[in-house]
Amino acid sequence: MKLRLRTPALSAIAIVSGAIVLLGYFIRIPLLSGLRSVFLSWALILSAIALVVGVLNLFNVHINKLKAGGEQAFFSGILMFSLVVTFVVVVFFGLTSQASLWIFNYLLLPVEASLVGILAIALLYALVRLFYRKLSLFYIIFVATAFFVLAATAMTVWFDLPELGFLRDWVTQTWSLGGTRAILIGVSLGAIATGLRVLLGADRPYEG
Amino acid sequence: MDVSLLDLIGGFLAFFLTLFVFSYILGDNLLFRLAIHLFVGVSAGFVAAAVFYSVIWPQLLRPLLLGTLEERLLVVVPLILSLLLLAKAAPRLSVIGAPVMAFLVGVGAATIVGGALLGTLFPQIQASLNLFDPNAAGKAGVNFGSMLFNGGLILVGTAVTLVSFQFGTRFSNNPSLQTAWRAVYLVGRFFVAVTFGVIFAGVYSAVLTVLIERVNLLVEFIRSFLVPIG
Repeated sequence: MKLRLRTPALSAIAIVSGAIVLLGYFIRIPLLSGLRSVFLSWALILSAIALVVGVLNLFNVHINKLKAGGEQAFFSGILMFSLVVTFVVVVFFGLTSQASLWIFNYLLLPVEASLVGILAIALLYALVRLFYRKLSLFYIIFVATAFFVLAATAMTVWFDLPELGFLRDWVTQTWSLGGTRAILIGVSLGAIATGLRVLLGADRPYEG
Repeated sequence: MDVSLLDLIGGFLAFFLTLFVFSYILGDNLLFRLAIHLFVGVSAGFVAAAVFYSVIWPQLLRPLLLGTLEERLLVVVPLILSLLLLAKAAPRLSVIGAPVMAFLVGVGAATIVGGALLGTLFPQIQASLNLFDPNAAGKAGVNFGSMLFNGGLILVGTAVTLVSFQFGTRFSNNPSLQTAWRAVYLVGRFFVAVTFGVIFAGVYSAVLTVLIERVNLLVEFIRSFLVPIG
């Protein structure tokens, strides 16, 4: 038997639960605030379960790759082994135990920090590539601003140049603040529009 | 096993993992892929365990196994919803988890809308208004004229950047407004370029600091073995 749930039922669940939570932000009614807090606590638990489902799915994908064999099977084996060992060690010994901190300090942190480190080279490479691909006035302004801020920061550390520091602060705290604020407002307007589309049933990402 | 020996093994692991990741500078290779797969596995295991410890155990399993009757009744609904959601892990049963996903998406969308309104949009508008507050200038000991000039510059930057994002081509068919909107668009792009330049400089100085710290770690690790010999 194949189960099939109708879209209107799913949309109704999303719209009603979302409306209760959204109204709870703005309307001070005890029943609404109580329901909002209950729904948020359920959503927190369900988000945690969804993350576990994601990890199970990752495990499942790599089991299939392991079965398929080849070069990828070795890496999938490494991934699955490290996943299981880390999960067992952290759950068994505790999140802040010496064993968990050892994993964090000697396995997670070095790779994470090194990936951030090579980002410095990748960013420089991307900047140079962009120079060869598209040279426009805005690209020159972008590079000049970045270079000025970096150079001014370095020079104010080494030399006593308060005027240069003032100029750098003026660029970073006044000239760029307008653009930063506009980007933040634009992002929040986009988030509101996307959220409202879901709450109005126009977008239904839960159907798949 | 002695703790210092564990630290020594950890030091070697950290050293080689750092080298493996840095080997990507020469191109994609087996060592880099080994480090990345290990990283993904450890991260996924760590995050799953952290979520178990901080959410699933205290809010779902502990009340269910060790709580009072009232606490057990309170977790019945999230428990049923969790079991339905777990069905998403099996492709054949994944449809059972759809109502729970709809609930999560609805609550998530409402939280995003509320958060964007109360956490970003209103505070940013309030901050734009505060730029022209004479009392704030007096309290900060700043000249009101310069505060007004800088505030005006920020406000103009915000407005033209938003206009350049949203309405860049709307009036392209109207010749009388075309030139004016083109000018606003160009000024907006200028502010965007300056903003991205400043953001790039901030990010670059941060990642450069991390790169220097990593290279320093490699050098110090090698030196710690060479000095006793020398």
